[in-house]
Amino acid sequence: MTLESEQIKTDIIEIENKKFGLKRDISQIINTINFESRRFFKNFILIILIFLGIFIISLIVQELQYAQDVPLPNDPIEYINSYLGMFGFMVILSAAGFAGSIIAEDFHRQTGNLIFPKISKFKLLIGRLISRYSFNAICVSFYYILIGSITFIKYEEIPIELWGSMGWAFLYTFMIFTFITFMSSIMKSTAISIIVSVLFLLIVFNMISSILLFTGVRIEPLYILTYYEGIIRYSMAMPKPRYTEINIPTGPSGDNGEMQTTTFLQWITPSEIVAFIGMLIYSILFITLAYFLYRRRQSKNV
Amino acid sequence: MNNQEILIELKNLTKKFGHFYAVKSVSLEIKRGEIVGFLGPNGAGKTTTMKMIANLLTPNAGEIWIRSNGEIQKLTRKNRDVLLDNIGFLIEIPAFYGKVTPKEILKYFAKLKGYPRQKLNERIDTVLKMVGLLEWKDKKIGTFSKGMKQKIGIVSAIIHDPDIIILDEPQTGLDPTARKEVRDFILNLKKMGKTVFLSSHLLYEISEVADRIAIIHHGQLIAFDTLDNLEERAKKSVIHFELLNPPNNYIDEFIEKLKKIIIPLTGIAEEQSWIKFDNDTKIFQVFFNGNPKNQTEILKILLNKGYEILEFSVPKAGLLENLFIELTRTNKTGGDFK
Repeated sequence: MTLESEQIKTDIIEIENKKFGLKRDISQIINTINFESRRFFKNFILIILIFLGIFIISLIVQELQYAQDVPLPNDPIEYINSYLGMFGFMVILSAAGFAGSIIAEDFHRQTGNLIFPKISKFKLLIGRLISRYSFNAICVSFYYILIGSITFIKYEEIPIELWGSMGWAFLYTFMIFTFITFMSSIMKSTAISIIVSVLFLLIVFNMISSILLFTGVRIEPLYILTYYEGIIRYSMAMPKPRYTEINIPTGPSGDNGEMQTTTFLQWITPSEIVAFIGMLIYSILFITLAYFLYRRRQSKNV
Repeated sequence: MNNQEILIELKNLTKKFGHFYAVKSVSLEIKRGEIVGFLGPNGAGKTTTMKMIANLLTPNAGEIWIRSNGEIQKLTRKNRDVLLDNIGFLIEIPAFYGKVTPKEILKYFAKLKGYPRQKLNERIDTVLKMVGLLEWKDKKIGTFSKGMKQKIGIVSAIIHDPDIIILDEPQTGLDPTARKEVRDFILNLKKMGKTVFLSSHLLYEISEVADRIAIIHHGQLIAFDTLDNLEERAKKSVIHFELLNPPNNYIDEFIEKLKKIIIPLTGIAEEQSWIKFDNDTKIFQVFFNGNPKNQTEILKILLNKGYEILEFSVPKAGLLENLFIELTRTNKTGGDFK
């Protein structure tokens, strides 16, 4: 056998060993998940510690109340809810930490020049979404496990509704995560995408909600992302109706001396089916938009 | 192995951004084992061409053909994974995720390209050793100097052991020592049987390593040939010489004096001739017709006039520079071409 034919044989063997098609796609996604997991491990630990810190603060507040003879609620769900007061903020914070850089960093830091010739943007995005969202979901699970544990200590039971709430928390986190991913696809840098996303989720949406409340709009605010947070708490004990009526004096008193009042509706939570469909639609929409903007950005800049 | 075998062929490659032609009908072929220099000023279309080969940009017209598994095939969405696996890319200045180590990033890149897992660690050590960064393999890249990052960028292009390596401006922003190291590394790649397509706006860097040079200007390929043939086409060149005691205070008068004795020997019409002095390097440059006879005459007259000459040479880049100026004479803007 000549040297040349041996070389050809070696080449063929190497090509046979290489994966192509779907196998290769899966392999590249798995490699991206592993790489991203290693890269974001420190962020993950930091966010876990923040969640732990918030839990400890909530626990101290609860214990101080009981020390002042405020009785423990009879219903464990009420007790669980006392730990979910800041949960919406925690989700936004953690999702921003994991997803803020997901697309923007490769353009801001020009790392895309190195990575894009090696893997397609689609597979890179899928790998990053899986690894970073997994971290985010573990943080959420960790918080729920802490709540479950303390509830068990206090009540010697863990209500099954807690795990239902955790399921909603996963879905809500995913929707917020995809929203921040979308913001990352349009913003120039990681810092800007985090700041703008947090501003939108914490301030802009709340402002819209307040404005709509006082303009007398009675339709359910399904277009406000943070509205879906309600399902996490209220899925455990769904209020009926799902809104509260607020009577506010709006004019001078009439002939009989009574103040004119207007009734405004403040929506508390979406129904379970609406929350599920709504969050799913938003998540799909944000991911799809983010991907297409990512691709478009590729052809312009990198 | 056939050295005449074409590994990459570009056929009328065109890329438009709006109404602007970044690359216009570029055709060239790269043969196995050669180093092809892609030369042009900033904004000439070099990076755009390379991004089209890397499938980062879609051409508006034209075709890219790449050899893989013994067969040259047209690059399409369907076969791009297979074809591009045979190429290593370094596009523009590489930037890294600061908190990762060379070992981590190279392992990731090699796995993406399907490099055998059992040989991965050995391969990482080999390529890092090639650029003298083996002892840095577990340090965070964020702490590296620009030159070190550039070297990691280059090895990330070859980590999966491709046949073809495409390097876009690998020496940009590096100090002279690091530039020389990169140059030597490129020549080593050739010795290893690799095919290199190298872009730069630095004439010297290209002329020192390339077997053939493609010159691009305003998106169009204006020359593509061996350095010797291009020199032949240039027919004019620049002599560089350095004097032991160059005059520091009356340099203009001194140049006028030199012109009187040298210009009649340059073989070029007086109005086209020039002599320059670089204050930083203390080197005189004389534009002449490129004929070795004239070159010798100039040296003789300088020695006869009693000048003590430290160095007297005709750098290859000088020839190329003249050719480039000649070829682009119709275009008034030459760009940033050094």
